[in-house]
Amino acid sequence: MNTSKFIKILRETLGEQCSIKEDKDSYGNHSIWMKLKVKESINVVANSIKSFKGRCIVATAYKNRDGSHTIIYHFDINGTILNVEIKTNDNMFFSITPIIPSANWAEREIREMYGVEPIGHPNTDRLFLDYSIAKGVLNEFIPLSKLQRGVSKTDIMWKKVEEDINNG
Amino acid sequence: MGKTIKIGPFHPELEESVYFKLVADKNSIVQEVEIVNGFIHRGMESLVTNRNFMQNLILTERVCSLCSNNHPFTFVMAVEKIANIKVPSRAEALRVVADEIKRAASNLFNLAMLSHLTHSYELMKDTLETREYLQDLKETIWGNRMDMSVNLFTGVKYDLDAKKVVHILEKLNLAIPKIKELQKRFENDEIIKQRCVGVGILPTEKALEIGVTGPVARGSGINNDVRVKAPYSLYALRPELQPRTKPRNGCDVLSRAMARFDDIIEAVRIIKDLLSDLPRGKTYLEKRPHIPEGEAVVRTEAPRGELIYYLKTDGSQKPIRMRWKVPTYTNWEALKVMILGDKVENVTIILNSIDPCISCTER
Repeated sequence: MNTSKFIKILRETLGEQCSIKEDKDSYGNHSIWMKLKVKESINVVANSIKSFKGRCIVATAYKNRDGSHTIIYHFDINGTILNVEIKTNDNMFFSITPIIPSANWAEREIREMYGVEPIGHPNTDRLFLDYSIAKGVLNEFIPLSKLQRGVSKTDIMWKKVEEDINNG
Repeated sequence: MGKTIKIGPFHPELEESVYFKLVADKNSIVQEVEIVNGFIHRGMESLVTNRNFMQNLILTERVCSLCSNNHPFTFVMAVEKIANIKVPSRAEALRVVADEIKRAASNLFNLAMLSHLTHSYELMKDTLETREYLQDLKETIWGNRMDMSVNLFTGVKYDLDAKKVVHILEKLNLAIPKIKELQKRFENDEIIKQRCVGVGILPTEKALEIGVTGPVARGSGINNDVRVKAPYSLYALRPELQPRTKPRNGCDVLSRAMARFDDIIEAVRIIKDLLSDLPRGKTYLEKRPHIPEGEAVVRTEAPRGELIYYLKTDGSQKPIRMRWKVPTYTNWEALKVMILGDKVENVTIILNSIDPCISCTER
């Protein structure tokens, strides 16, 4: 892939809104690390990736000490990995699934594990966790003792047990 | 009004727990499909941030049994990238030998499951018997039939002497004619053709849009094999070892099965080439290297496709964040394309054709 052409286009479009770093591993594989100052700019990056026939491999999220969340998208453009980092302070970010469908599961997983909402995502269903488990479970540390008593914030399970008891 | 059919979460034709809710018309053609996941979710990504790197090496071996070599392989590569460690060539070669043995055995298992689903039990028996050559090898060389526990930070835990090399080559020479014969039988078996040709179609443009990888992509005419597109380990240092497989264009269940056969044959070729010229030297550098602050993204080609690890460290003994994505994670979405418009009776065969690894996907 012609990475210099891709980077040039993004620099021209985003200007000071992004910082770009390039690295090469010991096997000679090139990767790009990009930080976006404004989270809305992810749409511009996604459109560029689409025009270069790239795909979203996955996205990583983690909670920072100040309560904000960092989201890193990992894209592939013909063998080159592009990591794009955004930060969100208000538990929401703009979904790129309508532009790059391969980001579908990654964004849904961020929603249920961290409680960060991908605005405009076409699928609102849960991915892995049951509806009785509150969104954002990876934001919390749950000790084993608490886990054994149940982490559910709803009483759906207890109601089912109660129903069975009442029905004999 | 269509007929609602539920398959799973526990079913004799499902390898792992998945739940399909299908709506079919009067001709049993699937009109709607809903797939419910999450039965094997264990919160492993949270667990790894509460364990040190050595403990996580053991944990990654246990994400799932069929991929129990790829996870630690990719994880150690991520750690080595952050610590700027260059692994000795002999260790790289030994990693690749173990990985390719695992790839061949994993793909043969999936093909055996395909013959099971088509009720071709003679073929299933022969496929599993051929796989036994590789299982025996794993047991003899690494001491275990599934978890080979090969990887170590900066190298590997095992070594091969001349006697073991001869033993591996002897076993592979016995397996090769059987694998080639099986390939012909799968390609020409009437029942397999009847059940697999034109079934579970994934058009190339849809495969590109969803971002599928591995034999699923190769069955739809796309070759995004990481060993070729972004070579790592010995595939980068010795390009002649890179697989020479060509994608298949049928876009159906049989094409994906044949792509797996291509992978198996290439895996055996890679092991034989490597063992004929095994680099000399150390098998590891140090057992407990210091892991500084940093972040890395590393990927490898697992039997089912691209496996990627993201690792962020702060110089302490535990990772800040560790994230991995397995091939089934993206290949799963393709199921909806493959199943819609196909017959209800083909659903489990189509599911098997992506070789789903639910334990890995849900973590």
